[in-house]
Amino acid sequence: MDIAPLEIPALHDQDRDLWVVPIRHHSPACAAHLERMIAEIEPAAILVEGPCDFDPLIEMVCDPRTRAPIAVVALKDAEKGEAGHDAHGATRRAVSYFPFCAHSPELIALQAAQGRGIPARFIDLPSTAREMLDETGDLAEPGDTPGRSLLGDEHPFDVGDYVTALARELGCRDGNEVWDQLFETRLGSEDWQGFFADVGRYCACIRGATDPARMARDGTWPREAQMRALVAQYRNEFTGPIIVIVGGFHAGAMFAAATDQPIAPTARGGKSYLIRYGMRQLDALSGYGAGLPLPGYYDRLWQMRGQGGDGLSRDIITGFAAHLRNATGEHGEAPSFPVMVNAIEQAERLAMLRGRPFPTRDDVIDAIRSSFIKGEIPVADVPLLAELRSWLTGHAIGEVPPSAGSPPLVEAVREQARKLGFSVEDGDRRSRELDIYRKPRHRAASRFCHAMTLIGTSFANRTAGPDFRNDAALDRLHEIWTLCWSPQVEARLIELSEVADTLDEALAAVLAWKLAALEEEGQGRNARAAIDLFAAATRAGLKGGAGAMLTLVETQIVEDPELASLVAALTDLVLLRRGRDALGITDISVIDRIIGAAWRRVLILLPELADYGEDQLRGAIASLADLRGLIELARSSQAPMDIALFDDALALLNQRMLMPGLAGAVLAFSLIDGQASMDLLEDRLRGEMRGGYVDPSDRLAFLGGIIAIARELLWVTPAIIDAINDVVGHAEQADFLALLPHLRLALMPLDPREIDRLAEEVAIRIGAQPGDLAALVAISEAEMTANLALDRDLATLLEQDGMA
Amino acid sequence: MTQQMIRPSAELRYAAELSALAAQDTFPRPPGWQLSPRAVRSFLLGDQKLGVSRKFYGDDPLVDRAIVSLMSQQGLMLVGEPGTAKSLLSELLAAAVCGTSGLVVQGSAGTTEDHIRYGWNYALLLAEGPSERALVPSPVLNAMRTGRIVRFEEITRCPPEVQDALISILSEKSLALPELGSDSVATATPGFNVIATANLRDRGVHEMSSALKRRFNFETVHPIADPEFERELVLRQLAERLGTAGVSISGERDVADVLVKTFQDLRTGRTAEGVALTRPDAVMSTAEAVNVLHAAALEAAYLDDGRLSGAHVARQLQGVVLKDSPDDGKRLRAYVDHIVKERAGRSGVWKEFYQAARSLKLG
Repeated sequence: MDIAPLEIPALHDQDRDLWVVPIRHHSPACAAHLERMIAEIEPAAILVEGPCDFDPLIEMVCDPRTRAPIAVVALKDAEKGEAGHDAHGATRRAVSYFPFCAHSPELIALQAAQGRGIPARFIDLPSTAREMLDETGDLAEPGDTPGRSLLGDEHPFDVGDYVTALARELGCRDGNEVWDQLFETRLGSEDWQGFFADVGRYCACIRGATDPARMARDGTWPREAQMRALVAQYRNEFTGPIIVIVGGFHAGAMFAAATDQPIAPTARGGKSYLIRYGMRQLDALSGYGAGLPLPGYYDRLWQMRGQGGDGLSRDIITGFAAHLRNATGEHGEAPSFPVMVNAIEQAERLAMLRGRPFPTRDDVIDAIRSSFIKGEIPVADVPLLAELRSWLTGHAIGEVPPSAGSPPLVEAVREQARKLGFSVEDGDRRSRELDIYRKPRHRAASRFCHAMTLIGTSFANRTAGPDFRNDAALDRLHEIWTLCWSPQVEARLIELSEVADTLDEALAAVLAWKLAALEEEGQGRNARAAIDLFAAATRAGLKGGAGAMLTLVETQIVEDPELASLVAALTDLVLLRRGRDALGITDISVIDRIIGAAWRRVLILLPELADYGEDQLRGAIASLADLRGLIELARSSQAPMDIALFDDALALLNQRMLMPGLAGAVLAFSLIDGQASMDLLEDRLRGEMRGGYVDPSDRLAFLGGIIAIARELLWVTPAIIDAINDVVGHAEQADFLALLPHLRLALMPLDPREIDRLAEEVAIRIGAQPGDLAALVAISEAEMTANLALDRDLATLLEQDGMA
Repeated sequence: MTQQMIRPSAELRYAAELSALAAQDTFPRPPGWQLSPRAVRSFLLGDQKLGVSRKFYGDDPLVDRAIVSLMSQQGLMLVGEPGTAKSLLSELLAAAVCGTSGLVVQGSAGTTEDHIRYGWNYALLLAEGPSERALVPSPVLNAMRTGRIVRFEEITRCPPEVQDALISILSEKSLALPELGSDSVATATPGFNVIATANLRDRGVHEMSSALKRRFNFETVHPIADPEFERELVLRQLAERLGTAGVSISGERDVADVLVKTFQDLRTGRTAEGVALTRPDAVMSTAEAVNVLHAAALEAAYLDDGRLSGAHVARQLQGVVLKDSPDDGKRLRAYVDHIVKERAGRSGVWKEFYQAARSLKLG
């Protein structure tokens, strides 16, 4: 195979007086050397790889009140046909981030430019350009996943033949360790020329080993063309040396002559804001191929750059030990002084062994691993190492100046959160218990959390509290929430800021969309979803507008042709009414009205059961069983349902010719309701069981219907068992065998204890002693052992098949 | 005089490599060490330029950590499942650091404190009373006096009170010899340290006191996860063993592939294709794989035509799997019936393996 000779880029283009600096995002060493370089070159302008439509934000990025980590979040309106575009004007759009941390070379460059009073510009394609967004570039669902990063892709630093081979040669485990060993260890040296020349050479080698098809795919060519074009444009504009800061991957491409005109950002189609960003999100981005993992470690390295990395390992090991002491109990014993000393020595010696001037990330982690953990450790999932990773990631969240142009919604919600006692200063996960009935402030906090959840931020997650839907824990006085003010929360608020300035407005807008979506897909089947939405809205404290949902519920109910879904919705409504205190509903008149309407609809639909086909029989019986539950619930909670009307409907149904199973169910219902007599039921049962049906299953269907609705009838009315006993007792052998499987099927809903009870009742009737029923079957020890072994094997098999 | 040995120690086997490393070693050596830490690393992980072979596979950072632990005040404790090359690692480290891997205490239920401290030559003791001449030093005491590494194999097989005799040796780096006079103390010279190996989960092992644990840095040696690595390792060790016996065979690469795949499947309870299977209780370590291949090779060489086949391996496998639990035979049978059978259609070695395995009496 021919290998084209690699072109190692120079740093300086003398003809154009252009310095091209290859960097890696979030690299403290690059940042430190860049500082030195700018001080020496004294450039007339600084150009930075980054979307050119972000230029207006540079001033804010450099504001003295800004504290990294921060990010520029870019919103792009979804175009027609793109994911995220929907007919209701919902602001679901592509969201992407351009993050900075304190040790980002890009940030250092922008700040230096501002300090020197020289212009700084971004030179990449606009954030709205297609090449800047990949196919997964839309963040429709909020969550902890970071959005698409606008930082250049740095995957080649971690994977690829060149990096793998280099790692093997240097005795490093991965590309990050290679980077640390080759570059971060040179943080304290004065030779910036040598440093950047080596970064350039390293990146050129990586690029040489990268598949050109990949670069064609990921938009490398148009982005580089744009950067060249803008560099040429600014070269004409400014006199004096210019420093261009680009990802090392692109450095070589900057020296070619520009061939195209730069693409200017369009006025429409996108918006960008400066937001606070978090260390955790920075770390997550590294998984998406940008920046270095464990930013907390690199932040410490940056803070200690004055000492050139000396004392860093001591600082980290003692700091982590102190962190463990504060959290003892969760991660076992806190390390003792000798363990810490040993770990520090270990780190220093590992660095020495691996030929590094001071311990880098992996040395420190290795040292802690061998000194702190006294025992065997599994391949993965080591709690102490997970804690170390989390601690080295850091949890800091940056700060942006009040003038950062955060949309009013973000400011308003933040203010509201602060007033309610929520922490919005860092990205830590916290738990909070709210006493929702006795403390008005807690009640307000609970509403805030519900509202934030409803509008789709990931701020709050309820882990315990009253649950109206399952009629559970309604007497519970507290709600427990897990809370985390992550940058994604603000990003979602920024998305919503187009339509709302306050949380209430945002809530109303989101509810309107959800309602519209329900109406569209609904066609009378979404009463339950609408009720859920209503409950969520009331819990979120929505004053006006919630009524619209109830109206929808009403329409849906009136149009609902199915008894089953209607009964389910009505049950929900009764539960909603019952849980009104927990939900904070003061006015129940609307709910009462809908309950009344739904109840009437149930009564209208009830006689129609008679027209159900055979395939709908099971559903019909199940609806009747649900209906029985509903009536009991209504009685116990004084719901405004006129039960007397039900008797009429039932009587109507009883007059119809019904299939045997349904007939059994209806008659059992009538009996409980006091409309039918026991004798009638017994006669019907005997008649059905002796009946001349072709299919023997029909003879037992009636009994099945009774048991489905009210199996307690078996015990309260002995006549039923008498009837079964008579029929079975008098059956011929062949007849009995024909009946047997269907009898079993009919009795299947009974639980084992009820079956025992039934057997005893039958035994008494045929003159046997209940005690005679249990036969003791002797079993040898060997057989038992064999059976136990079989049982164990079966359990193992089930476990293997994931069915344990 | 050169004496024939079944298994020469690491320092003898690799004498040439060790002297090549020593000759080129310009890095600082810790007091008492024969080589610099970097040369020790090269000895274990290989250095092509110096013609040093790789001897430990799978976890390079672990080797770094182990070397560095040996430079510290702490002892080095290697833990992990049986057969994960813990003893090999300890032997190689001892040979490279101090030139000898022969100072060994073998832990067992019968190990006493005398094996850790010192004993007496009773004839001399009776004749002369306690004297330096009558004292029989343990490998530990020997290592302390000469500034070398002592290896303590299977430390958890000793009762805890015996293990604890190491505590004061590790923390004080000295050992009182009161019989030789009240002031008589043996102090460790630089270079002394302990490498212990332990199995924390096997049957019949003892606990370790936390006081003892605190004096060690722990390193867990995991089974080799990469089949390529494991196959290379197995083949290399086979070549070494056969080389000393002067046996030559053919076809071992394909057979080793089958063997390592089988071992990895049975060890993890899942094939590379993701099919689940019941894991046998028997230890399916790399060391066992080498034993199986070695035995199979001997069978092929002495009882057959010298061509190693899947059938040889299948017959030897029985002895490895049917050790711990009678159920293991059934588990191997199930593996053969379902997974090997399917592979038998695809390659000749698997077919031989399948046919021979099917005729085994596996319970």
